[in-house]
Amino acid sequence: MNVKALVSELQNFYLLSFHGLLGLLRRPFYLRDAIEQMDYAGAGSFFIIILVSLFVGMALSLQLAAELSVLGLKMYTGKVVGISIIREIGPVAAALVFTGRVGSGMASELGSMVLGHQVDTLRVFGVDPVKKLVTPRIVSALVMLPALTLIGDAASLLGGYYIAVFVSHQSGNVYWSSIRDVLDFENVFSGSVKPFIFGYLIASISCYMGLSAKGGAIGLRGATTRAVVLSIIMIIVADFILTRILLYALGFSV
Amino acid sequence: MIVFDGVSFSYGDRAILTDLHFSIRADERVAVLGGSGEGKTTILKLIMGLMRPDSGMIFIEGEDITGKTEEALRDVRMKFSIVFQEGALFDSLNVKENVAFCLREYTALSEEEIDVKVRDLLRRVGVEQALEFMPEELSGGMHRRVAIARSLAAFEPKMFLYDEPTSGLDPVNADNICKLILDLSRNGKGFIIVTHKVFDALKVANRFIFLQDGKILFDGDREQLLHSPIPDIQIFISELQYKEEAKNV
Repeated sequence: MNVKALVSELQNFYLLSFHGLLGLLRRPFYLRDAIEQMDYAGAGSFFIIILVSLFVGMALSLQLAAELSVLGLKMYTGKVVGISIIREIGPVAAALVFTGRVGSGMASELGSMVLGHQVDTLRVFGVDPVKKLVTPRIVSALVMLPALTLIGDAASLLGGYYIAVFVSHQSGNVYWSSIRDVLDFENVFSGSVKPFIFGYLIASISCYMGLSAKGGAIGLRGATTRAVVLSIIMIIVADFILTRILLYALGFSV
Repeated sequence: MIVFDGVSFSYGDRAILTDLHFSIRADERVAVLGGSGEGKTTILKLIMGLMRPDSGMIFIEGEDITGKTEEALRDVRMKFSIVFQEGALFDSLNVKENVAFCLREYTALSEEEIDVKVRDLLRRVGVEQALEFMPEELSGGMHRRVAIARSLAAFEPKMFLYDEPTSGLDPVNADNICKLILDLSRNGKGFIIVTHKVFDALKVANRFIFLQDGKILFDGDREQLLHSPIPDIQIFISELQYKEEAKNV
């Protein structure tokens, strides 16, 4: 891809994601579409998030308990698990699962609508495809990813508890009191901001890739793959940038 | 109604239409013929403002639409009723909701009034029994009929545009769609049908435009088409000779 095409793509992506967000403020509001999308994104991802998060929490707790017991600091397992999950791993893990399940679904559904002339049909009927298709998906991601992250965090902490108490033979009270200690404003705020940004990125990228699909089944496959790959890359990059900004804003020294 | 004045269009480096000139009246029944990838569907999309030409001007009722914004194009699009290839019904909505789509968007009709109107439209195209079906439950012919009903629900069009309305259909269903197309244009409303099935085109149209390599190779009536000396057109209409021969077997 040459530079001109790349700049044009970036400009189109920016316009789509901006207009998608702006759709929240302008009539008509496609509330029914947004609720349908939230149901698909939220309820549909609920058990997957719990399952993934539970095992992430267990693996993390296992690693930390093994390492900290060598140093004689096993009692800090809960604290380190808590900080890692709430600030960092929880939002990223939920966002990655959300990308795999919801982002790919958004891209393939919209791509299929483009190739099947359904998007053209909307335009013919005078309906703005961005407002009708993109805004409800952005809304669903902005609402459901933070909620799923919260549920995922809880599942991870529970997984960590299981390992700490039943495998590493630590006190459950100590584990939960360490978790309570780390549930302060800085950590909770740090972990709460990220899912909103990640959700917006996933929905925007996936919708853009879907609406740019061309050329039949192969094109649809390419659009879905690009949506997932680019979303994952952007989540990781954005996570680093956000972490840097949040640490600075919340007064942590590195 | 429609004037193409030196219209050219390309996908990247590939030229699809080159310096196209033609005009179509609102009451004409025109078939645009040509092989796959010759730009037939592109012509419909250009008329609707869904694509913009690289050069040239497109006039709809004397108004150049090439520079119009998406908002301004809405008025242009309301003059036409377009049925895309394979119907383009919304997958997530059932037949009733597909047909009611524009009624819900643009009218303040009550649920009962929408129901009556949708049933009436579906009866008109002969698929009233499919009211609660999802698009994937419909046959190819029903798909097109529901799409036609939906396009009629939208606005009061001055002209119909059909993109390959009979492709992929068995001869009986294709014939039924042709009859429906003729029925809808009975009150003097014209249409443009884009197809590669010359047999179906001859059933409904009285003017034929043949596209090849992005240019108009032929523009004339039924007799001129059937007796055209152009070799590529002869190959194209050989489908008719096979049908005649088959009758004698």
